[in-house]
Amino acid sequence: MGLFKKILIANRGEIAVRVARTCRALGIPTVAVYSEADRGALHVREADEALAIGPAEARESYLDGARIVDAARRAGADAIHPGYGFLSQNGDFADAVAAAGVTFIGPPGPVHRLMGDKKGARRLMAAADVPVVPGYDGDDQQDATLAAEAARIGWPVMIKPSRGGGGKGMRVVTQAADFAAALASSRREARAAFGDDVMVLERFVSRPRHIEVQVMADAHGTTLHLLERECSIQRRHQKVLEETPSPALDAARRAELCAAGVAAARAAGYVNAGTVEFLLDPEGRFYFLEMNTRLQVEHPVTEAVTGLDLVRMQIEIAAGQPLRLGQQDVSARGHALECRLYAEDPDHDDRPSPGRVVVLAAPDGPGVRFDAGIAAGSEVTVHYDPMLAKVVTFGADRAESIARMRAALARTAVLGVTTNLARLQAILAHPAFLSGALHTGFLDEHLKDGGRAEPPPAAALQAAVAALRRARPAAGPAAQARPDPWSSLGGWRLP
Amino acid sequence: MTRFVSGDVELEVDDRAALALDVAELGPGSFVLRNGDSEELFHCVRVGTVVHLWWRGVAYRLEDAAQGPRASQRQGGGGLEAPMPGKVIAVKKAAGDAVAKGEEILIVEAMKMENAIRAPKDGRIKTIAAKVGDMVAPGTVLVEIE
Repeated sequence: MGLFKKILIANRGEIAVRVARTCRALGIPTVAVYSEADRGALHVREADEALAIGPAEARESYLDGARIVDAARRAGADAIHPGYGFLSQNGDFADAVAAAGVTFIGPPGPVHRLMGDKKGARRLMAAADVPVVPGYDGDDQQDATLAAEAARIGWPVMIKPSRGGGGKGMRVVTQAADFAAALASSRREARAAFGDDVMVLERFVSRPRHIEVQVMADAHGTTLHLLERECSIQRRHQKVLEETPSPALDAARRAELCAAGVAAARAAGYVNAGTVEFLLDPEGRFYFLEMNTRLQVEHPVTEAVTGLDLVRMQIEIAAGQPLRLGQQDVSARGHALECRLYAEDPDHDDRPSPGRVVVLAAPDGPGVRFDAGIAAGSEVTVHYDPMLAKVVTFGADRAESIARMRAALARTAVLGVTTNLARLQAILAHPAFLSGALHTGFLDEHLKDGGRAEPPPAAALQAAVAALRRARPAAGPAAQARPDPWSSLGGWRLP
Repeated sequence: MTRFVSGDVELEVDDRAALALDVAELGPGSFVLRNGDSEELFHCVRVGTVVHLWWRGVAYRLEDAAQGPRASQRQGGGGLEAPMPGKVIAVKKAAGDAVAKGEEILIVEAMKMENAIRAPKDGRIKTIAAKVGDMVAPGTVLVEIE
């Protein structure tokens, strides 16, 4: 057998908790790392031991590869799971881990670098007959060349930084007259964010769906797909709700898309878990978007329908074991949904809402999974991503998993910070969502106002006033003098 | 009378009716409302001027109407305040610059997201009390517009 003696989890929040859970099931001790802002955080309590790695600022803690490698050495960990975000797609970090004699649970450095470069990835995919959006990925980066190529591609055109991510530096240009200014500002933003201003041009695909293929490859030449996920409900290029199977695909198109995902992974020489993202246009054509060289946030929906533990597969592959199943053994049953609960205010441009979580009521029951990075009393700080938890539901079909999600969200309460819960509920009640008519502009088109709930009924307001009147502790000099977690509750007075 | 604002709607609560209710605290932020032989769980937490309420499966965010409009829109005497704690990552205007309503003046980064602080009206910038790299707290006056 011989997986690993001890795994260091180089992450925080719900994903660190989730990785620790599988390690426990495998009998592998875990080491958490934490910044000063995360002292006492849930992920620290869920691991067998924990090491401080620096100040709150991510650059000096969770993004500091040297400190993490050093922590692994100190703790005697022989493998590092990077989770998602932070250093998970950093090829130099993967190399540094390997150089320290520790196993990186993910693909090797060169694969990260290859897929982190949109220009190179596009060329590689085109060569492997994976469809790419018509565009330009040439080395000649002169402004005049790009302008001429944009005109050849046809308006509207999307300008994308080759080393970009998260929507930064991306511009949609609808006419030739606007191109030069858009290119200049895109280059400026890309240089500031990524230290590189090489651009790729692509025809702008209007009203696309975002559909991705989960792949899993071992070090012995086997590459499988674990079907698709649809992630079209997004805000600011970040996913909010995901599901599998996609309501947009029939069996033939699904087979084609999944085969393209496997071809993309093979072309990249991929090992471990990865995700190949595609755009599906309204005519049903799909195009390679990018490959994420890590575990995805939304992997639980795949786990729900396939019955597989993706983190376990990652660990086994990293330990050099061959995949224990073939493509014919992968099958999906039912339908799964995931809702991401964020500490943000959908009524005000999704503004982040840090604070202390005072109440946390988690949904449970058959077909419900709740992956959280917080507990009652947790501090949600400004330093990290605002995702608090993921609610995942599973049902025999889409209607059943939606019904279960609505029931689960109605039993979910997170108070103390503002959350997007009401917007998630509005999505799940929207006729366009129920009919499966999704595209990446869904929220802007249908729920621009944030999906605000009706004002509370009079009975609820009266109960609130009575509750605030009774809430402990009473405000007073003693209560204010100590840094009490509940001190923010006090001070309510009726006029 | 207690007043809340929910979205754009102002709501009035009859305090006497409220205080006649049988409400008991179960734990921090969690309460039970008893009425005859029925019992109902709800949650309510106050943070500054914001009241978070969870009632029958729906989460509400209320603001204390007595405290005036929310900090992000507060513009008393031409001062523009930080709407959330975060780090200033860009300052796009300088004192003396003319600004049009809606124009970006500063960008504050919090939780990996960039949030633009925009001019609430046309005018001229009198002072900018923030520079790139500053950590700002909500309520701090960052910009004065005249």
